[in-house]
Amino acid sequence: MAAPSPALHKPRRKAKRVCNGASSFVAVEESLSRTPSFPLAAFLWPARSSASEWEILPLILMIVGLFRWASSLWGYSGFQKPPIFGDYEAQRHWMEITTQLPVSQWYFHDLQWWGLDYPPLTAYHSWLCGKIGSIIDPTWFALYTSRGSHDPTLKIFMRATVMVSEYLIYIPAVVIFVRRFSRLSGVATWTSSVALVAILMQPATILIDHVHFQYNTVMLGFVVASMSSMLAGRNLWSAIFFVAALGFKQMALYYAFSVFVYLLGGCLFPRINISRLLGIAVITVASFVILVLPLIVGTLYDVKAGVDYRPDLGGSRPPLPLFPQLVGYLDTEAFYYPIVEQMVQIVHRVFPFARGLFEDKVANFWCALNVVIKLRKYPTELLQRGALLATVASIIPPNLILFFRPRKLLLPLAFATTAWGFFLFSYQVHEKSVLLPLMPMTLLLAGNQGLTKSVRAWVGFANILGCWTMFPLLQRVDLRVPYTVLTLLWAYLLGLPPTSFSAYFQEGSSLWSQWFTVFVHGFFYLAMALWHVFEIFLKPPPEKPDLWVVLNIGVGAAGFSLCYLWCLSRLVLESDILPKSWTGSRIKSKTQ
Amino acid sequence: MAEIYPSLAQCAIVAAAFKILLFPAYKSTDFEVHRNWLAITNSLPLWEWYLEKTSEWTLDYPPFFAYFEWVLSQVAKLVDPAMLRVYNLEYDSWQTIYFQRFTVIITELLLVHALQMFVDSSRGASKRAAQAAATSILLSPGLLIIDHIHFQYNGCMYGILIASMVLARKRSTLLWSGLLFATLLCMKHIYLYLAPAYFVFLLRAYCLSPKSVFRIQFLNCLKLGGGMAAIFGTAFGPFALKDQIPQILSRLFPFSRGLCHAYWAPNVWAMYSFMDRILIILAPRIGLPVSAGALQSVTRGLVGDTSFAVLPDITPRICFALTLIFQAIPLVKLFIQPTWDIFVGAVTLCGYASFLFGWHVHEKAILLVIIPFSLVALKDRRYLSAFRPLAVAGHVSLFPLLFTPAEFPIKTVYTVFWLVLFLMVFDHLAPASNRARFFLFDRFSTLYITVSIPLIVYCSLVHGIVFGKSYEFLPLMFTSSYSAIGVVGSWVGFMVVYFTS
Repeated sequence: MAAPSPALHKPRRKAKRVCNGASSFVAVEESLSRTPSFPLAAFLWPARSSASEWEILPLILMIVGLFRWASSLWGYSGFQKPPIFGDYEAQRHWMEITTQLPVSQWYFHDLQWWGLDYPPLTAYHSWLCGKIGSIIDPTWFALYTSRGSHDPTLKIFMRATVMVSEYLIYIPAVVIFVRRFSRLSGVATWTSSVALVAILMQPATILIDHVHFQYNTVMLGFVVASMSSMLAGRNLWSAIFFVAALGFKQMALYYAFSVFVYLLGGCLFPRINISRLLGIAVITVASFVILVLPLIVGTLYDVKAGVDYRPDLGGSRPPLPLFPQLVGYLDTEAFYYPIVEQMVQIVHRVFPFARGLFEDKVANFWCALNVVIKLRKYPTELLQRGALLATVASIIPPNLILFFRPRKLLLPLAFATTAWGFFLFSYQVHEKSVLLPLMPMTLLLAGNQGLTKSVRAWVGFANILGCWTMFPLLQRVDLRVPYTVLTLLWAYLLGLPPTSFSAYFQEGSSLWSQWFTVFVHGFFYLAMALWHVFEIFLKPPPEKPDLWVVLNIGVGAAGFSLCYLWCLSRLVLESDILPKSWTGSRIKSKTQ
Repeated sequence: MAEIYPSLAQCAIVAAAFKILLFPAYKSTDFEVHRNWLAITNSLPLWEWYLEKTSEWTLDYPPFFAYFEWVLSQVAKLVDPAMLRVYNLEYDSWQTIYFQRFTVIITELLLVHALQMFVDSSRGASKRAAQAAATSILLSPGLLIIDHIHFQYNGCMYGILIASMVLARKRSTLLWSGLLFATLLCMKHIYLYLAPAYFVFLLRAYCLSPKSVFRIQFLNCLKLGGGMAAIFGTAFGPFALKDQIPQILSRLFPFSRGLCHAYWAPNVWAMYSFMDRILIILAPRIGLPVSAGALQSVTRGLVGDTSFAVLPDITPRICFALTLIFQAIPLVKLFIQPTWDIFVGAVTLCGYASFLFGWHVHEKAILLVIIPFSLVALKDRRYLSAFRPLAVAGHVSLFPLLFTPAEFPIKTVYTVFWLVLFLMVFDHLAPASNRARFFLFDRFSTLYITVSIPLIVYCSLVHGIVFGKSYEFLPLMFTSSYSAIGVVGSWVGFMVVYFTS
């Protein structure tokens, strides 16, 4: 009994005959390549011609969700690490104080134990999560007694809040961004689905949010939503989303310059549009007001109810932590003064100017420089000024380009370059901040030529290096296994080292640039691999206990600088800002 | 023919990554069972393996599995010797967990290899379908839940089963198919349920001449018999020397257990118990006698032996007879028409019969049906329509195995993912049959699949909110009765397809 021939196959549904622009692209691509060039493409290979986007998308969302949830079974930051625990405890504690204390005390309560130091939207988010959690088990967020709780069910609840927040904000934003961006760049639907999986499986975000524990994807999601509104030409929405991102986590300031420059550029070129500019300004201010409004109303309510924001001081008022000269101009007994105190306190908490140039070991320029020259011997003033100068110098070039060429397709590159500049040169950088430049850089995968070997090689390089620099952070809480699995899995899916070197040899680009990339990347991958071997088998010499971490920082900072330069050079090339004759020859030499 | 993407190796790599991430997940007592076996085989002389009873989880698999544990224990010695002490009950250092979980992933490579053999053995147009079926087995939520979360070594053993079934595809490798199956029987005796199909097939296709039933091929009989004897000798011989065979048999076949397992496996007896439950309410109205003794036991249907309040009790003898009868019916056709497709169908039906009518069936045994069925599910659309309710029911019935909240999203989302993906792919790939399909059956199966969604929602969320911890048997009973309908329905459907094709 031979199998019936395929001609007998009678599908119940009629195949779609509609042939839109996207599917003709697919046809072209199919005829060009007979075999998938990297494993992720192989996984989506059967969906190439027939399946509609709406059949693939739910599957993608389920599978990335599964990987996230499985990773979240592992330990979190600060697990069984008394006395102060870690980020997990910080987030839990914020749920505790926002649900248990009057609004005016949120930013003042016991600052030694993970005092709230994120902007108001985080506080509201914590409040919501805390309220929901308290319905399930009120002891999770009981004041004082819940500190350092390691209830396993609480862990599941906390993990679920990260997951739900991400699926409500980051994931829809990325899905929509990828759709818009790939359509603008003329990329086929199938290819954009591949890019979508690659972006959503990005190991660094999973490791930090779902394993180590934080809510970065909420902030990143708002930024992506803002970018995607820019792509759609909805500048007002993009301003609103960006205020939300800033209101959730001050780190979004890394992008602020680019957002500002793009929106401003859009109002000035090709011709000046004052009403648009005014609209954006008004909307931005209004969003900020709405953002802090609950705090203001809450404070006024508390004042009226006679609730003191510092019950520990017994009625006396401490001086303002910042801008003490304000007292000279304001009436401290007026009804608005408590609001001023709240706002100043928020700014003081959110922007810790008083801390050092860098807090921990971070793979940025200053920390790497510190190995050579001991920076601590210089006065803080000078260091702050130096950091400011270097940062400005590094972000001016990309933002000038974006200002004069406010084009939608340049957004991810400009955002990435600016964020790299901030990460490398700014003041008070945390190793987790590498997520900020990685996000727009990874979004490049969805763009024109995004999955070609050269872009894949560089985006992959940045991501893997990014994960690697976070290894010391993860290793402190025994997260080697999820680190290894997620990073290698992503490298494997995208056909990157250490699993494959196929991304480095392609036809149609110049031999010289190919070998340059191979050599440079090869050196870094080798360094990373050797570093892991050393870190496992060799103890650092007793007089230099931090040797491995320092090496990690040095290599990381060098690699990230290359990523900055790569993003900048791509931005220069793609913006056509250089004279045609000059870039023309360069592009030709690239495509040869 | 060009290679089909994604390849099995690619799927295996990504699946392995996911499985490693599941290392810290919930693990059942089976984890301790296998740790104990590692300890027994490593630290005790051979003749004490089946006598040792420090732990309540005594060795109750056939000797080859014990040998397999012994091999693993040689590596375990290097990882963490503490796990190899018999008295070290409930020991689960992270090394032990990593090691044991890792061995499951490694031994599953056998399954990958067997599936690759299956794909390679298919020719022409059916190759694509074979690849899809093989991928569906490799990524099966059943194996994920049972092996990688709950903890067992089914992947490895189903690999041997599939390899043996693939070897049966060619006349030249029939002998090896039989011998491999004998080896499998010496690893896990649950595969005895499938043995009748193998017996009939090998008898007809290998031991008797293809031309006439009355011409016996003596050389083949000798080879097969000798080989089998050697395999069983290696397995049981050392124990026979010390007269331990009765002891082993008492471990392997503990007839003292009840009709239904701790959770009701979704078989005929689950439906029978469900009927009994309903009759308890109805009986006074229609004047049936209710046995008071059975009413007393609160845990009815949950643990130990089941006694029925209204309906007559079931004895092991009845189960055994029913199983044999329903196995024998398809075997007649296999004897007359010993082709490979019929053989796979017969293996599947043997699995069905034993699962549906067997004594003390565990819900994990549903894989005995799903996995052989997957190999032929894509033959044409009629097969597929019988497979669909089984795929849903079989996997949903495994949900009660994992009851911890952290694993809830994994089991449900993964199963839904698998069902959506593969039912969609199968639908694209299965060719139309040259016979008419039963119209109503298709409609019922769609309705049936739809019902699973409110059921899962009720069992996992609504019930807990409404009743809290009370009436815990309700979700279990609903799940198994629902699944039983699906399994029985697909069994009837497949019987019809089997006999009419």
